[in-house]
Amino acid sequence: MKKKTASKKLNDHIKVLILMMVFVLILMAVLKGPVYYSVNNFRSMIFQFPEYGVLSFGMMVCMIAGGIDLSLVGIMNLGGVVCALLIKNAGVPIPLACLASVAVGAGCGALNGLIIGSLDIPAMLVTLCGLEVYSGLALAITGGPAINGMSDSFKNIANGSIGSIPYVLFIFIGVLIVVAFIMKHTVFGHEVYFLGSNKQAARYSGINTLRTTILAHTMSGILGGISGIIITSHLNSAKSSNGSTYTLLSLLIVVLGGINPDGGGGTVAGVTFSIVLLQLIANAFTIMHAPDTLKTLVNGCLLVAALILDKVMQKRDMQKNS
Amino acid sequence: MNSKKKHAWLTSNQMILVYIIAVFSLIVGIRQPAFWDFATVLNTMRAAIFTMCFALCEMIVIISGGIDVSFPAIGCVAMYVPMYIINRVAPIDNAWFAFGLAVLIGLAFGLLNGFLVAILNLPPLIATLATSSIASGGVVTILGTREFTVLPSSLQAIYNTNLITYTSPKTGFQYVLNVLVLVPIIVCLLIAWMLKYTMLGRGLYVIGGNKTAARVAGFNVKKLQFAAYVWSGVFVGVAAMIYNILMHSATTSALMGDEMITIAACVIGGVRITGGHGGVGGVVLSVILITLVQNNLNMLGIPTSWQRFVVGIVLLLGTIITSWQTKRSMKMSQA
Repeated sequence: MKKKTASKKLNDHIKVLILMMVFVLILMAVLKGPVYYSVNNFRSMIFQFPEYGVLSFGMMVCMIAGGIDLSLVGIMNLGGVVCALLIKNAGVPIPLACLASVAVGAGCGALNGLIIGSLDIPAMLVTLCGLEVYSGLALAITGGPAINGMSDSFKNIANGSIGSIPYVLFIFIGVLIVVAFIMKHTVFGHEVYFLGSNKQAARYSGINTLRTTILAHTMSGILGGISGIIITSHLNSAKSSNGSTYTLLSLLIVVLGGINPDGGGGTVAGVTFSIVLLQLIANAFTIMHAPDTLKTLVNGCLLVAALILDKVMQKRDMQKNS
Repeated sequence: MNSKKKHAWLTSNQMILVYIIAVFSLIVGIRQPAFWDFATVLNTMRAAIFTMCFALCEMIVIISGGIDVSFPAIGCVAMYVPMYIINRVAPIDNAWFAFGLAVLIGLAFGLLNGFLVAILNLPPLIATLATSSIASGGVVTILGTREFTVLPSSLQAIYNTNLITYTSPKTGFQYVLNVLVLVPIIVCLLIAWMLKYTMLGRGLYVIGGNKTAARVAGFNVKKLQFAAYVWSGVFVGVAAMIYNILMHSATTSALMGDEMITIAACVIGGVRITGGHGGVGGVVLSVILITLVQNNLNMLGIPTSWQRFVVGIVLLLGTIITSWQTKRSMKMSQA
């Protein structure tokens, strides 16, 4: 019975997201049809969203586990800087450098999780400090200026394409499948949901909460490392202050995607739809030549709207049930 | 019993902060004898004004069980809009106008935060993040990004009013302490009194500790939450105008990123992030510590590019020590 209402609610949420997408698409068709509906435009969209899409999945895992990861942007930049330095100065082959970036992300995430889980400090606090530590480390390694001019084959990770389909789309879909599988079909995924909905109960029912917390944050760190590779390759430059707006953006994406900010609820599908929706909107703004700051304003309003929508739907569900 | 109490006092959060401040000062002082000068006190006080003001806003909100990450954006709007009007619309050369408008803007955004958190029951972190992007996105879209570096003469007059002028006998440099340093000092005292002796202050602790219990006990939770966020908005307006006067600069992004260090200052000062606990004394000490560290790292020979990392580590350690202390004190009170 309970499962049925849960899946119904999910459908409701995704329905709203799809409706919003259709609305944006129709609006753009009326306003700027030929420019918006061109292969080039869709390609440029696909080039843009994977870097923060992957980041959002990291935020999603932590939020489902009942926490939050504000250090993701720091991890992303640290990973990117390490990767760029290894390729440029040490001449390490590209796959190995990418692996190093992912390993750095995993390490940072594990450290976050260890402090949060073992000392019971709120995740928000630890990751806020973590953001400072990791971006500070990235700044210290680079000494200030950006690292530029990596080899073309590295640049191609985020800028190259097969035919007219960019490589990054495959990376994104790969990450999506892995994350969806982990969250839905593994014991660990279910433990994360359980931990987020009721920590006390999870502990009493025999879940090793410390291990689950560390693993959840490690997973988030790994995703941060991956998106570090993508953004470094995309901009062909690594520095400690890239993508500073992505914290707010990834929070917006996961909340809009129906992840419960208190933990325990939400699905990968919702987040995916929300990533695509946000990219559609961002692209619409670019085509209309609206300033970037207007986008910030609209994103803030959307975030509030998404939260209110959730509250209203929750209330309606409760009324229906009673 | 008595010795146990004394022991608890000696290892309390405040005393640990005092020890750390003393050790840090000793280390810096040994490496750089120039540190032992009255000028250091003046420099620290001057640099601590803003962090102190922001910490006073954040502290009240955290005690009430929330969190406010929107105050840097609100502050930027509150100093940018009056300066924009003075410079480009109508040259109203009046300090009351500048401060008044800043407070009004702070009030408006504080009300918005209060509405989102208290009436709509949204999670405070996300609600204030949204307010932050609405404030900074909105003002830049409407008014654009400029930098105003020239103060009108009424504000310049405040800038020129100094409380203490001190000439260092060793170097001959002149150090001044602006009269505006009195603002955080007076507000600190007021807040300490308010938190301890008024129903409003006690109510903030109660709703931070347990909202349901507070409601049952007859506190108006919504009103108290509103009070916390409105205070944060209003006072950040004042603080931003002080920043504008002392720094001679009003931009749309000057304060962005300060929320991190402010929240950490509160937590290191013993304000529990989960609400309901903490006081002015600890926050003052932790602001002094953080300012000392920020100001004197180069005296220790740490290169500029490493400073963010070092400050981050200090914050992380401070947070860990504080929460470990909290755990211990909880155990002690149970035993």
